[in-house]
Amino acid sequence: MSITEKILCSKSHEYILKNEDDTYTVGLTDYAVEQLGDIVFLELPETGNEFKKGETFATVESVKAASEIYMPISGKVIEVNESLVDAPETLNEDSYEKGWLVKIEATGDEAEQNDLLEYEDYKEELE
Amino acid sequence: MTKETYLHDKHVQLGARMVDFAGWHMPVQYTSIIEEHKTVRENVGLFDVSHMGEVFVSGKDSLAFLQKIVPQDISKLAYEKAVYCQLPNKKGGLIDDLIIYKLGINYYLVICNAARIDEDLNWMVRNKKGLDVKIDNQSHNYSLLAVQGPKADAVLRKMGLDTIQESFTIKPATICGKKLLISRTGYTGEDGYELLVENEFSEELWDKILDYGKEFGIKPIGLGARDTLRLEAALHLYGNDLDENTTPIEAGLSWSVPKDKKEDYNGKDVIMNQIQNGTEKKLIGLKMLDKSIARHEYEVYKDGEKVGVITSGGISPILNANIALAYVKNDKNICTGSTVQVMIREKLHDAEVVKKPFIDKRNKIKIE
Repeated sequence: MSITEKILCSKSHEYILKNEDDTYTVGLTDYAVEQLGDIVFLELPETGNEFKKGETFATVESVKAASEIYMPISGKVIEVNESLVDAPETLNEDSYEKGWLVKIEATGDEAEQNDLLEYEDYKEELE
Repeated sequence: MTKETYLHDKHVQLGARMVDFAGWHMPVQYTSIIEEHKTVRENVGLFDVSHMGEVFVSGKDSLAFLQKIVPQDISKLAYEKAVYCQLPNKKGGLIDDLIIYKLGINYYLVICNAARIDEDLNWMVRNKKGLDVKIDNQSHNYSLLAVQGPKADAVLRKMGLDTIQESFTIKPATICGKKLLISRTGYTGEDGYELLVENEFSEELWDKILDYGKEFGIKPIGLGARDTLRLEAALHLYGNDLDENTTPIEAGLSWSVPKDKKEDYNGKDVIMNQIQNGTEKKLIGLKMLDKSIARHEYEVYKDGEKVGVITSGGISPILNANIALAYVKNDKNICTGSTVQVMIREKLHDAEVVKKPFIDKRNKIKIE
């Protein structure tokens, strides 16, 4: 099963991936990364920071512009992908396995995921 | 309605990401802005800049007319030479910045910014009262292709370029059997040429340049890299670094303004007064001291006080640093080597005031 079959995507182009220990990995979809172009800077939150669904938790900067990244579900940050700070271009190569942004513990209920789309539907929505 | 250049379909075929820019549907990048930027610095790149405006000025009062609308001394402009000019309003603020070429006796070509063509034409018409001048906007009939980079000359030689010319000159030339106007100018800080051709020939010329340029590593370059290239060279972008409330002196363009021009021109009293007595604001270059990126409209601070604003900012792929242009108050403590702060997402980040341009320009080719 490929990773895109396991993720849920927001309309603002973030994804969540449920891990075996019930935590979630959060990142940007490959479509978002492609649209941004060369990614040159990332501002990530700190472990322990809590965010509500829809709140800005990170900023990604391409050559052209700075864009905010929103939490697809409410959660508390338990791990940050620090390797991206020195190598933000990793995101351009792979925004899932290497270029994930943070891992969170969900703090809201599952109903928060109702407006998230499966990858195939998300792609269809873009067309 | 968004306009398309004659090369629009070429860009789409090449897989460019297209964006709206100044009312035109233009390529922002073909592959990667950083890669395209480096291609121009190291080899050669091809740009479609057909959105730029071409206005021909003729008639027996052409010189008097141009003398009235720009601070530069057009009487000193020799045949086939180009000069960088500004178009000030009566307060010295800039309606646009321009390149003026002398093509013949009482015959000039004015290149203006795409977004400003209408304002420029209105202003020109208002200023021609009583003068025998014809202002002929030919923007819709011409395409403009820029070949820029250290290998630009080699590419055009290979194509049979039959003229030898210095930087800031324009000549009729023959390339691949076609007559066109070739100007040794650009907006990248590199040596290079801009080719003015009738629309009908633009697609053929585009293909041929890419074809002949292959062995020199040529690539098509989008507006994204055009912006990062001009920023490294500290070349002003109208709308960011220049506007109707900014004079050429405030913009650091004093070098382009003659002190001894006899004729009156729009804004002359303000401009000459600023040359003598100084300005309240000045344009400075900044280099960020951390990895953060300063962008258009971010605020600049010194000792906790707001002193200015970023007008252009971004990455420098060559310096591997983040750079910016900013207007700050004309304070002697804000000088080269001093530190200021840029407010980025509610946090202050240190930046060093550095000399402009940020890189060494290589666009001054002299022929002995």
